[in-house]
Amino acid sequence: MANRTPRIEVAGFVFRVAGLAAAGRTWVEDRYGPFLSRRAPTFGVHVRSSERYRPGRTPRPSVTWTDGRFALATHPSRAEGDLGRRRVAFRGGPGPALNPDLFRLLCSFLLMQKGGVLLHASAVVDRGRAWVFSGPSGSGKTTIAGLAGDRAVLNDETIALRPGARGWEACATPFYGSGGPAMARVNDRAPIRGLCFLEKADHFAHRRLTPSEAVSRAFPEVMLPKREALVTERLLATLASLAAVVPAWELAFAPTTAIWSYLDGLD
Amino acid sequence: MDSTESFPVRKSVPWRTLDTEALVVDVKGGLLYPLNSVGARIWDLCDGARSVDEIVGMLAAEFAAPETTIRTDAIEFIERLADAKLVSIERRRTGDSR
Repeated sequence: MANRTPRIEVAGFVFRVAGLAAAGRTWVEDRYGPFLSRRAPTFGVHVRSSERYRPGRTPRPSVTWTDGRFALATHPSRAEGDLGRRRVAFRGGPGPALNPDLFRLLCSFLLMQKGGVLLHASAVVDRGRAWVFSGPSGSGKTTIAGLAGDRAVLNDETIALRPGARGWEACATPFYGSGGPAMARVNDRAPIRGLCFLEKADHFAHRRLTPSEAVSRAFPEVMLPKREALVTERLLATLASLAAVVPAWELAFAPTTAIWSYLDGLD
Repeated sequence: MDSTESFPVRKSVPWRTLDTEALVVDVKGGLLYPLNSVGARIWDLCDGARSVDEIVGMLAAEFAAPETTIRTDAIEFIERLADAKLVSIERRRTGDSR
């Protein structure tokens, strides 16, 4: 695939990444290896030359969206795109050829357009259905992923949730966390068994969350800047739809493999 | 806070009702405020037409609590919503009284 324009598939989107020099293409193929695809592209990403590095205060990530056109920014990179034409131009700063933070923000934005969300979460597939574990940094997402054994880990940091033919599905992403690339080796998806908001403990305990509580817990973990009313309205609607059908729990857990049998007993 | 004032929800504030509760977003701060059933009812009654007396009267008819307690809590809650710029406090127009 060395001389081809790379295509990366994330949560059903197939991105054709053009404009890369040979070194950049190699970097992309190495970084996104398990997510390279031969399927027809659904969105074009054109990477343009790097901008001059400008020291200064790091701006907050941002999303603006008007009449089908959108702009995304995560310092030091930014992107401008058109939903109708299904293309986006990346203007990268120094660093990786395809800035993972910006690419993740693009995936999150596009997923929102399809009624899904990109969540700060890990996910493990157990007997064909995915447990999704969310929470802030340090809550145990990577720890649980590390307890998966022979179960498939969809990711330890970033999971795409989207409505599919079989209900809500959890999809793997290439945006791994402290577990490193080993946590993003499989590009797979599975219907969601449940959504757990984590708390590390020395014992197991759980409490079923109301839909309102589940939305409140999930909202800050969605990987989108939430300072645009249009984005936030869409996000609220999506999370409400998710919480109406996917069971959610608050889960305290001890870091042992007994977690899988404990999860079987959740009601 | 008196009977000449009303409390319209700001148009730019995204919010959603789930069952008897509500979720309100402070877009500028990127924060979500979950409201319990009483808070959600007050939010619902902040329609820009009702005064605090009318809101308290309706709450007293719906919830089992002394009206003085409801008044204190409702005023404090509406002031917090106003401080967070989720509702505004405006002079009621003539004829708004219900």
